[in-house]
Amino acid sequence: MATIPAVGMVETRGLVALFEATDAMLKAASVEMLGWRRVGKGLVTTFVSGDVAAVKSAVTAAESAAAKVGEVVGVHIIPRPHDELTMLYPTRGAGKRSQK
Amino acid sequence: MLRHAIGFIETVGTNPSIQAADAMCKAAGVSLVDVIEIGSGYVTMIIEGDVGSVKAAVDAGAEAANETGELVSAHVIAQPHEDLMSSMLGA
Repeated sequence: MATIPAVGMVETRGLVALFEATDAMLKAASVEMLGWRRVGKGLVTTFVSGDVAAVKSAVTAAESAAAKVGEVVGVHIIPRPHDELTMLYPTRGAGKRSQK
Repeated sequence: MLRHAIGFIETVGTNPSIQAADAMCKAAGVSLVDVIEIGSGYVTMIIEGDVGSVKAAVDAGAEAANETGELVSAHVIAQPHEDLMSSMLGA
């Protein structure tokens, strides 16, 4: 049974903090960035996946990095996400340029 | 290859964002990459260029935004991870 990769999420208010969080995550551990979502009210969430240890260290690094730049609303890790969750993961990129 | 630095100005409202964008684009050596709205009036502008120009542009943009409205944050990532822009903006 293929091991389903863990999923880590960091939610911030403001996109600058999210960029900082994502940058810290990509540098902290070998995690794959699934994309980010915006849900209004200035809340944006970034999703990463990889093995549990990598996701854990990436998310903790992201939380401290983003807190210096903006407001971290929430951080969460799902070690073994259900496979139907994949429909919740965002497509890559949600900026204007990608919508052109 | 000198990796580009990335600069951000995040404002509430369009007016300060345009003022800041104008100030930033006038600084040499930077280009406006994307403008993203995420609700609650937050407008985030992303610029790219060499570190010195990006820092100068972000400072100028922050000042312009502050004078004309609410500046949420002004930030520079000097050494971004190489996948950051592609994974965030789908470039």
